Amino acid sequence: MEFVNPEGLRLDGRRPMEMRQLRAEIGAVARADGSAVFEMGNTKVIAAVYGPREVQNKSQLSNDQALVRCEYTMANFSTGDRKRKPKGDRRSTEISLVIRQTMEACILTHLMPRSQIDIYVQVLQADGGTRSACINAATLALADAGIPMRDLVTSCSAGYLNSTPLLDLNYLEDSAGGPDVTVGFLPKLDKVTLLQMDAKLPVDIVENVMQLAIEGCKAIATYIREVLLENTKQLEYRRGL
Amino acid sequence: MTSKPSPAITTTYSPTPSSKKTRPDVDWVRPDSRGFHQCRPAFFRTAAVNAAAGSAYAEFGNTKVIVSVFGPRESKKAMMYSDVGRLNCNVSYTKFATPVRNQEADCKELSLMLHKALEGAILLETFPKTTVDVFALVLESGGTDLPVVVSCASLALADAGIMMYDLVAGVSVASLSKKNLVIDPVQEEESSQDGSLMLTCMPSRYKVTQLTITGEWSSANLNEAMELCLDACSKLAKIMRSCLKDAASLAAQE
Amino acid sequence: MVGLSLGEKHFIKGGIDQNIRSDGRKRDSYRPIFVETGVIPQANGSARVRMGATEVIASVKAELGRPSALHPDKGKVAIFVDCSAVAEPTFEGRGGEELSAELSVALERCLLGGTSGAGAGIDLTSLIVAEGKICWDLYIDSLVISSDGNLLDALAAAIKAALANTAIPKVNISAAASGDEQPEVDISDEEFLQFDTSAVPVIITLTQVGRHYIVDATSEEESHMSSAVSISVNRKGHICGLTKRGGEGLDPSVVSDMISVAQHLSELLMSRLDSEISAAEAEGGDEEL
Repeated sequence: MEFVNPEGLRLDGRRPMEMRQLRAEIGAVARADGSAVFEMGNTKVIAAVYGPREVQNKSQLSNDQALVRCEYTMANFSTGDRKRKPKGDRRSTEISLVIRQTMEACILTHLMPRSQIDIYVQVLQADGGTRSACINAATLALADAGIPMRDLVTSCSAGYLNSTPLLDLNYLEDSAGGPDVTVGFLPKLDKVTLLQMDAKLPVDIVENVMQLAIEGCKAIATYIREVLLENTKQLEYRRGL
Repeated sequence: MTSKPSPAITTTYSPTPSSKKTRPDVDWVRPDSRGFHQCRPAFFRTAAVNAAAGSAYAEFGNTKVIVSVFGPRESKKAMMYSDVGRLNCNVSYTKFATPVRNQEADCKELSLMLHKALEGAILLETFPKTTVDVFALVLESGGTDLPVVVSCASLALADAGIMMYDLVAGVSVASLSKKNLVIDPVQEEESSQDGSLMLTCMPSRYKVTQLTITGEWSSANLNEAMELCLDACSKLAKIMRSCLKDAASLAAQE
Repeated sequence: MVGLSLGEKHFIKGGIDQNIRSDGRKRDSYRPIFVETGVIPQANGSARVRMGATEVIASVKAELGRPSALHPDKGKVAIFVDCSAVAEPTFEGRGGEELSAELSVALERCLLGGTSGAGAGIDLTSLIVAEGKICWDLYIDSLVISSDGNLLDALAAAIKAALANTAIPKVNISAAASGDEQPEVDISDEEFLQFDTSAVPVIITLTQVGRHYIVDATSEEESHMSSAVSISVNRKGHICGLTKRGGEGLDPSVVSDMISVAQHLSELLMSRLDSEISAAEAEGGDEEL
């Protein structure tokens, strides 16, 4: 199948190094301590953060750092063909773990010992790159909840199809069976916190594709910063400052 | 059965409609040739299971139900402290209860409904920190299962000596085509009903503990159906009470 | 649920007694309702409904299937509710399952009518394509995103809006198959059938607090409830379903009273919802143009 046509356009009309339209909104769940909606093209996720609060399961309590928990769920209507999956299947358990580890790495957990932070992410529409979108939404929700973090971690994926590195794969490109590199990145510290890849990719190209994903992360970080700044200005305005 | 069986009671009863209406369709005959407002004969017996703290068996036509009550006993799951007792209800069907094997799916809902119908009648604060388990088994399903389960369960609770405000009696009414209301429908009628109303209540306190309605009802019809149910409930409760009394007097004689 | 101090409890209860609630509403007034349709592009119809801080999404997906042998002239409808952990941390894992089951059973009871299909909000016979052979199966999935009480009413409103937004592709039976053969079908990409939602009822939940009952309770108020009755009423003012929640017993006369109150309130809610839905639909239509 041709994923990049001779004019250099992808199936959805993007250029190889072009990202999908981003949209973010802070405060979608009124009762949560922090929440955000994050859209990457047709992929749409919602994240809510509860905490820091009392640890529910005392056996998990830690005296020197906060406990971070995460749950990833997909809505029944999120995929094209309707399937009713049981909660907690392997795929969502794995993604929950990935998100938890990524977020734990950037939260200053030592500042909040003996407490618990819950991150819940819900996929409303899945069109490839849900784990990246979830991490981005979780970052925004954590920032909205005012939880101290080292940096705003962002995530983006990149692939390699028709001998062309492609940024931010959609569902069709993702399911083509080609390599899919997901990167979690701390832009200020210039550090990679998450790196996942499946399928095979020549060694000399890995670097290239990864760099592309990192560029994507940086672009998302800039956007997230803008959204947060705008949100803060709004808050300031409402306070009458 | 080691203990002396309590006397068998088979009684039919029918609510007295407050407004005597002329029957619109006399040509309609119910599958078991009952009157529209005549319930199936109700048979109750307490102490049906020896291992349980209290139990009851009920037979309404082809609907046969056995309920055993265990407790108050230690909560199985290590749960949070609670200064009121917990009620745990479970309804299950035998494999041979229905013409078609397997009816697992429905039971979670029935268990939930049984719990709601009973919890308002029990003085939960009399057994703090503990749980009362109510296990209902539908031996044969002949229609109107849930109300029979509820009535039988309340009798079993009484047999177990659990403090209750009142016995809970359940009755349902089906509305069939041409707006006929039939009480205590059998399976055949249930499968072709336009709507149904199920009501469980505590007759002496005159309180409704659970009420569900399906299908389209006009206010007049609804009021008529509710009156029918309430009246039938109080009559059913009398039968249940006499069953308890007989069992108690029998025990006193020994 | 919500942890409230004794003082807060008295405040809420006292307010309800004096017909002014914590957010300034009267006992019988609703929070503002916002409706947005077409929020899930993959679905045949979808809607998002917000009532105060309660937010739900409903989607309708239609798939071709075979009618059951018992009812060869009817399509099938299945209603599922999911409570997302996003809305409430206690819904995590299997925590929301009990509430989900309770809500979906209540919705099915209120929308699908009796076993014979009479009084159903959704006309199942309209879903038939070829009698006994092909029908549409409607899957109504809803998701609770944010919960601040009165979930059932919000879900019913969202389903009503989603059904109004639903377009079912027109199906042409290309070859008239004989006997038991499954006929070939051709699903049109251009022609769609609009769904008739005039018979879909609204659900009104009356929550009893003390001696009074209130509509559209917030979760603070719900934590107070001794019992609540959810009544579904259609356009004709007929009752299409009723579910009682909460353990405490109710006097039969109170139940009758609640039903008549619900019938009265349903007219207002129905017309309000209708105008919100048509406004949302009009807005969605402009975007497409």
